[in-house]
Amino acid sequence: MIKLENVSKAYSPDSPALIDANVEIEKGEFVFLVGASGSGKSTFIRLLNREERPTQGKVYVAGKDIVKLSSWKVPYLRRNIGCIFQDFRLLPKRTVAENVAFALEVIGRPKHVVDQQVPAILDLVGLSEKTHRMPNELSGGEQQRVSIARAFVNRPLILLADEPTGNLDPDTAVGIMRLLDRINRTGTTVVMATHDRGIVDTMRRRVIELSDGRIVRDQSGGQYR
Amino acid sequence: MISKTRFLLAETGQNIWRNILLTIASILVVGVSLGLFGASQLLARGVDNATARWEGGIEFVVFMKSDAEQSQLDAIETLLSSSQGQEIDEWVFVDKEQTFEEFTEFFAGDEELLATISVDTMPPSYRIRPTDTNAGAVEALGQTFEARPGVRSVVFAADVIREIQNNASRLTQILLGVSGVLIAASVIVILTTLSIAISGRRNEIEIMKLVGASNWFIRIPFMIEGMVQGVVGALLALPALAWVRTQVIEEFSESDNLRLLEGFRVTDDEFLLISLAVLAIGTVVATIGSVVAVSRYLNV
Repeated sequence: MIKLENVSKAYSPDSPALIDANVEIEKGEFVFLVGASGSGKSTFIRLLNREERPTQGKVYVAGKDIVKLSSWKVPYLRRNIGCIFQDFRLLPKRTVAENVAFALEVIGRPKHVVDQQVPAILDLVGLSEKTHRMPNELSGGEQQRVSIARAFVNRPLILLADEPTGNLDPDTAVGIMRLLDRINRTGTTVVMATHDRGIVDTMRRRVIELSDGRIVRDQSGGQYR
Repeated sequence: MISKTRFLLAETGQNIWRNILLTIASILVVGVSLGLFGASQLLARGVDNATARWEGGIEFVVFMKSDAEQSQLDAIETLLSSSQGQEIDEWVFVDKEQTFEEFTEFFAGDEELLATISVDTMPPSYRIRPTDTNAGAVEALGQTFEARPGVRSVVFAADVIREIQNNASRLTQILLGVSGVLIAASVIVILTTLSIAISGRRNEIEIMKLVGASNWFIRIPFMIEGMVQGVVGALLALPALAWVRTQVIEEFSESDNLRLLEGFRVTDDEFLLISLAVLAIGTVVATIGSVVAVSRYLNV
């Protein structure tokens, strides 16, 4: 599903963010990216949805070399990749349902599809009672659920999560992880960058550890350490 | 497709509404600049029409009586031909039909006036370009025709006409120059309005990119917004120009002090052409502003 071949990324010549990364992630895997701030986790994630291009090496997603992808095709790549973030990135002037519907509307899905998919996904993330609330009326955990609903409503092959529990208290974080786990079980590949030792240690999934831009550990069923 | 279109239009409407004051300012700038451009063209056409018979160095016109006899016409022509190469450089005969044609073309739309005239009532005339264009010499030459049988009057181009032509063309150029500067400013204003609209929606745009909205889907609402500004501005300029045409120019042509400007008119065809030019420039201005804005600020 995802393959990095000798990938290096440097934002400026003397400070490489990622050095010679070689990783292969199968369909349906759940992978934690761990490491200190600035170790290259976010860069890793941004390379996967073509927000960044590597300075060297090849990035394959779903069998395609996305480095060479022409810019007008990038949107079609991204329709197969859902993204969630530490800061949720919801649109403050739209309701919960509108935030989720937005993701379908802007890729031209017809209204009847939107009307059908949005309640279904909100039900899945446990927010069917709050469809008409505004984001600022929700707790952090609920906001993250909305953003997960938005990322997953188009049933992407891959879900990229950059510190999704970073702003949440531990109990709420557990709820979010359960949800991500459920999504992973539908066959969606999940790549999650995190600092949360507790979560990594309980879930016991594959762990890729980065340090100063290098992959220093790649262990299945691993711990945070 | 329908839901796509509806979504894009709703987005555009929201953009314009959020940015309403700037949008109005932008429309007004476009309107004023195109209005000035149109006015310069109206003036130029009006002066051209009023002084048409004085073009090409024609310094005076000998109008014959409409019932002048052929022998009288022949006498004038013999005189003209014999002076050609001496006092007279060149001359043209304009017969009744031609005069009638010019007249009807000129006053097209004025049914009342046209109903009162016919080919027969038109005076034939000789348009004369003298060798010596010095005012005194021209007048002396012209007067020699005045006493001839069958001649109704001799009308001189006079310095006033020349002055009007010069002043009008200078004024036209100034208007054109100012409108040119304003049109360039319109592009910048549209560009800036759009860049503000874009930065006001950067969160939405970021999400759209993230979930895979196509580049055109992101661009189109802003492009439509820019087009609306240009086209609405142009549409505002048109009634203003129509007003200038009927009020100001009619006033001109009826003024007693400016008898010489009797023919100061803009025909329907000319007005249509000017209107189309105004619309076309509005569209071009909007297109340039929009394309530059989305390619510079949208970054998709």
